[in-house]
Parts: sequence; C-alpha cells; structure tokens
Amino acid sequence: MSSETEPPASSQEAGGGHVDGPIREIGHDEYDPVGTLALIGLYFLILVALWFFMYFVEFIGNDPTVVGSILGGVMVA
Amino acid sequence: MTSNETPYLEQFPGEAKLVKAAFWSSFISLAIGALFGVIQVLHRTDVLRFIDSADYYTVLTIHGVLLVISFTIFFLVGLFTWAITTSLDRPLPSLRFSWGWYGMMVAGMLASAFSMFAGFIDSIDVSASVLFTFYAPLQAHPLYYIGLVTFVVGTWVAGFDWIRTWWGWKQDNPDERIPLPTFMVLTTMIMWYIATLGVAVALLAFILPWSLGLVDSINPTLTRTLFWFFGHPVVYFWLMPAYMMWYIMLPKVAGGKLFSDPLARVVFVLFLVLSVPTGIHHQYLDPGIAEGFKFIAMTNTMFLLLPSFLTAFTVVASMEHGARQRGGTGYLGWLKALPWRDPVFTGMALAGMMFAAAGFSGMINAGMNINYLVHNTFWVVGHFHLTVGTGVALTFMAVSYWFMPQLTGKRLWNRTVALVQVLLWFVGMTLMSNAMHRGGLLGIPRRTAEPQYDGFEFEAGVGSVAELDAQIVIGGILLGLSTALFLAVMIGTVLGPRDDSLPGNNYAETLSGPEDAPLVLDNLKLWTIIAIILVIFAYTLPLLSIISRGGLFGFETGGLPLSISLLGSTIAATFGELLPAAGSVTAPLETAATTLTGIVR
Ligand code: HEM
Ligand SMILES: [Cu+2]
Repeated sequence: MSSETEPPASSQEAGGGHVDGPIREIGHDEYDPVGTLALIGLYFLILVALWFFMYFVEFIGNDPTVVGSILGGVMVA
Repeated sequence: MTSNETPYLEQFPGEAKLVKAAFWSSFISLAIGALFGVIQVLHRTDVLRFIDSADYYTVLTIHGVLLVISFTIFFLVGLFTWAITTSLDRPLPSLRFSWGWYGMMVAGMLASAFSMFAGFIDSIDVSASVLFTFYAPLQAHPLYYIGLVTFVVGTWVAGFDWIRTWWGWKQDNPDERIPLPTFMVLTTMIMWYIATLGVAVALLAFILPWSLGLVDSINPTLTRTLFWFFGHPVVYFWLMPAYMMWYIMLPKVAGGKLFSDPLARVVFVLFLVLSVPTGIHHQYLDPGIAEGFKFIAMTNTMFLLLPSFLTAFTVVASMEHGARQRGGTGYLGWLKALPWRDPVFTGMALAGMMFAAAGFSGMINAGMNINYLVHNTFWVVGHFHLTVGTGVALTFMAVSYWFMPQLTGKRLWNRTVALVQVLLWFVGMTLMSNAMHRGGLLGIPRRTAEPQYDGFEFEAGVGSVAELDAQIVIGGILLGLSTALFLAVMIGTVLGPRDDSLPGNNYAETLSGPEDAPLVLDNLKLWTIIAIILVIFAYTLPLLSIISRGGLFGFETGGLPLSISLLGSTIAATFGELLPAAGSVTAPLETAATTLTGIVR
C-alpha cells in the first residue's frame, strides 16, 4: 500500500483538488519531517510568548479579577 | 484503498444524490446564517440598525442554530455517507431507508426554523428566541424542541445506517482492518450517541414537558449541565468531519500521503474517550457546581490537548511529505512547494492555521481561573469563529470544491473565484475574530444587541473601541461576501457543463498503514466501555449534587427532599445488589446518600 504511486493526474481544469504526480517518490524510511518539527516548534514558541503576554493583560492592564482579589486576601491574612 | 479512476457519481449514483441533497441543506443554512451574522455585526456596532433590538435574540438564535446545528451536521451526514461508501467500496443497504433519515432531519430542522422565524411575526403566537443553548428560564414554543429532537433522532438513524453498512462489510471481510475513514465515522458516531443522551434527557424529561405546561418548573442548573454534557462533545461532532478531511484529503491534495494511519486512529479514540467528561468546563462560572467538579473537568480538558497536538503533527507532516515529493526543500522552504493555487488545498490549510491560532484562546478558556477574565465576553465569540466558524466551516467550503464535481459530474466553476473566496474568508475572519478577542479583554459582552452604555466607556489599552468596531464591520462584510462567492461557485458548478475528465474518487494513501496499528485500536467495544465509565465518573456526583440542591424539577413541584432520598437510596441499593461482596463500597455510598439528603434538609 505504502509503495503505490499516485493515480495519473487528470486535466488541469478539473477544478479544485487536482493533484500533480510527484516529482519524486519519498517512502516511509527516507522521510524525515524536520520541517514539521520547525513549524510546530515555532507554534509552540508563539504559544509560550502569548501565554506570558496574557500575564500582562490579566494583571497589569486590568484591575485585579477574582484571582487577584483572592491572592490579595491571602496576603492580608 | 486502491487508486480508482471513476468519480463518485458513477460509482454510487444513488448515494451521490443523497450526499448532494445533504450538502445543499447545509449550504442553504450557511447562506441564511451568514446573512444574519452580517446583520448582527452591523447592529452591535451601531453602524446600521434596521431590526428592532428586541428582535436581536431571534436573529442570534437563527444564526446559532442554522450554522452550528444545521450547516455543520447536514454537511457531516453527507460527508460520512461518502466516507462509508467510498472506503468500504459498498453501497448503503437501502437508499429508501437513508432518504428516510435525511427526511427526518429536514422535517425537524424546518419545524425548528419555523418556530424561530415566527418570532419576527407578532400575529403568530409562536417564538423560539432562546439561542441554540436554550437555557431555562428562556422558554421556546414546544415545536422548537420537538424539531431539534427529531433532527437529532434523524442523525441517530443515519449512524445506524452507516454502522450496519460496516457490519455487512465485516461479514464479507472478516479479517480486514476497518478502513480509516470508516473507523473515523464509527468512533465519531459512538461519541455522538453518548453525548446526545444528555440533551435528549434535558429536552424530553424536563424542558419539553415544561414548555408544554405539564410541569410548572424545572431546575435550570440541571438542564444547563445536561446541555453541556452534550455541548462540549458536539464541538467534536463539528470538528471530526473536518479532521477527517485534514487526514484523508489534505495529504492527497498536497501531493503526499498520510504520515501515519495508526496515529490518526489514536486521535479518534482519544476524542471518543475524552470529549464527554469535560462539558462542565463551560460552567466554570455557574454557581451551584462545586469547584472540585470543575477542577476535574479542567483536568480532562487539558488531556484533550493531546489529540489536538497529535493532529497538528500528523497533518503538518503529511503536508510536508507532499511538499517534498513536489520538490520542496529546507526547514521552512518546503512551504513554497505546496499547491497554494488550489482552493481545496489553500482553504483547508488556512482553516487549519486558524484552528491552531484558536488553540491559544482555547487554552485561556480552559483554565478555570483565567476563564473568569473572558467568560461570556466577545472573546469567546472570537474563539469559536476560529474553531467552528473557520476551522470547520472553511474546511467544508474548501472540500466542497472537490466534492461538488464528484457528486454532479460537472466541472468546477470557477477555480479562481474559489481561491478568492477562501482567501477572503481568511482575511475577513482575521479582522473580525482578532477584534472580538480584544474586545472581550476589555469586557465587551457577547449576546448583546447594544453594547453601548450611558456614562460608561470600555477602556482600550491599545487602539480604541471604534477601531475594534471598524475591524469587526469590515471583517463581517468580507465574510458575507465570501459566503456569497462560495454559493455562486456551487450554483455555477451545478448549472455548468459536464466534465468528462474528472479525477477518480480517491483519498490519501498512507506512509505508515493500518498494518502498523495495534489491533486493540479497532476494538470499539473496549473504547465505548471506557468512554462510558469516564462519563459516569465525571458526571454522577455533580448531577446528584445539583439535584440535591435544586430538585429534579426545581423547588416548587419536586417534593424535593423526597426525590433526593429516593434517588440516593436507589443508587445505594443498586450498587448493593451489583456488588454483594463489596459491603465496604456500599457503606460509604449510603453515607453519601444520607449526607446528600442531609444537605437538602
Ligand atoms: C458571515 C460570517 C459570520 C459573521 C459576520 C458572524 C457574526 C457573528 C456575531 C457578530 C456573533 C455574536 C453576536 C453576539 O454575541 O451578540 C456571532 C455569534 C455566533 N456565531 Fe457567527 N458569524 C459568522 C459566521 C459563523 C459561522 C460560519 C459559524 C459556525 C459555523 C458561526 C457561529 C456562531 C455562533 C455559534 C454564535 C453564538 C450564538 C449565540 O451566542 O447563541 N458564525 N456571529
Ligand atoms: Cu467545550
């Protein structure tokens, strides 16, 4: 199954989802998804950055919300 | 699967008609829903108000129901019918039967739609302006609930239809692995059966009798909790068909193969097991549910990140495979080798990207404490227009450019317009959803016709409310345009000429196939049982405590302490019978029952 080739491509005007035949066939063992690693790594970094940013939105941009007042309460007590 | 030269229409002409009908029901809902979305945008921002603000909830109810119930689910039933027949290479057992469930769904949706639209007309004493969440004490005409129930029962029958098609196939192919698309349909439907039990009980046992006047009151916390029992997994019901397309279509149109069939199976099993016992995360701010239960729901929710990340990895790796087969190189340079001129590819890829962005706002929503910051604000609306409103909706539109020719034998009209359409949606949604998120952080509420208040201004740290409103209006209008273009392409295709050179009805092959997947993954009985056990764990105690505090039918009618002590002792007794040896287990249960009764008294 994994070694089968793509079906022959039909005419370009066939509309969306038209598939060109591969320039080269890459099998399971020769494929190393480094680009995926790079992209997902980037996404992860963005998530972490946004997460930090959220700290400022939550605690500095606004008055304390529920969490803030509970923490404040604990500190007073 | 084998590569196949015939389009779907020639393979399964009868089924193609059914799928086409389901898609058109979906598209009509999209058209009306999107129109109402634009009306909401203009009204909220006070750019153009031509409806009475008192009718805003009617508009919003129609927008919600038509888009997230009708548009998504009609598309799903069409897609799943295609997936079952294509991957099993087998027709449905009886087309008459299948048109039966489709007819039920249409009848149900028409009944609900009638009751919603009647809200605009004062002379008809019917209305259903209760939003798609129908929280008590908002009450709709019984027809609204009856319609929804009929629609859902229609999906149950559809599920049965697909399952029996698979049974038939299994008789003939006892030793074969379940083909991946069928596996996805089956796991999704099992999840759906479990999930819809919640809403069925909420509607049939409580809300419908109450709206018919058979009982005087109900317990709103109870019906809300039953709603969200269904309300979280329903988002996976929208999402799973989109995921299916990302797993089995996107790799193909990217010119590659699915990276891993076993990983895809793991993801669908995880969704089956984990999607129901998380519903309480929509109720972080509901009084009357103990924090501990909310914490458990939060924990389960965080586990759900796992299948989402697995999906991100598998789908991106499959695209990268395609790109490298097309000659792409480098760490990020391969992205250029992807077929960005193909609307099917580009629509799905942008939808996936938007969905990934929604991962961030979803993480914020999911955190119990930080949820307080955004709950019921415009942020949430921004979030789900990225998930269901783009991740799902844009994927559906994009794949329609592949499906419509397959279903009609017609040539796609017109590839360029289609490409513009998906790009417009992306741009429009970027503007609208970004501004909604930011507006939510300022505290701008959702579900509000006129979020402008005398003597009070929302303070924007960056930019201004006027700037946010402008983004929302421009975004909303672009989205409206994009929807119109989509419909134009669909209509143009159907009316256009036949195409004799259509590609065959194929989906992606795999790099690592089912032969690499552990057999236990296909043990659907096992996963169903685990899913049910998790649901029981997550919901028994919260439901008991909600009933004990508020009564099954609220305080007026219930004879409350009685119903609780009855319930408590029934449960203790049942467990006692089930586990005669485990006296040690029943004792604490009885104590729990007494405590519950105690709290009430
Ligand atoms: C033309 C594109 C769209 C526009 C302009 C639009 C606009 C809006 C706006 C402004 C709201 C918030 C109203 C409020 O809270 O006061 C809203 C709510 C909503 N939208 Fe959309 N939307 C669009 C497409 C979609 C799509 C494609 C979906 C789903 C598939 C969707 C699902 C929803 C849902 C579920 C709600 C919440 C309804 C409620 O609060 O009960 N929308 N939409
Ligand atoms: Cu949820």
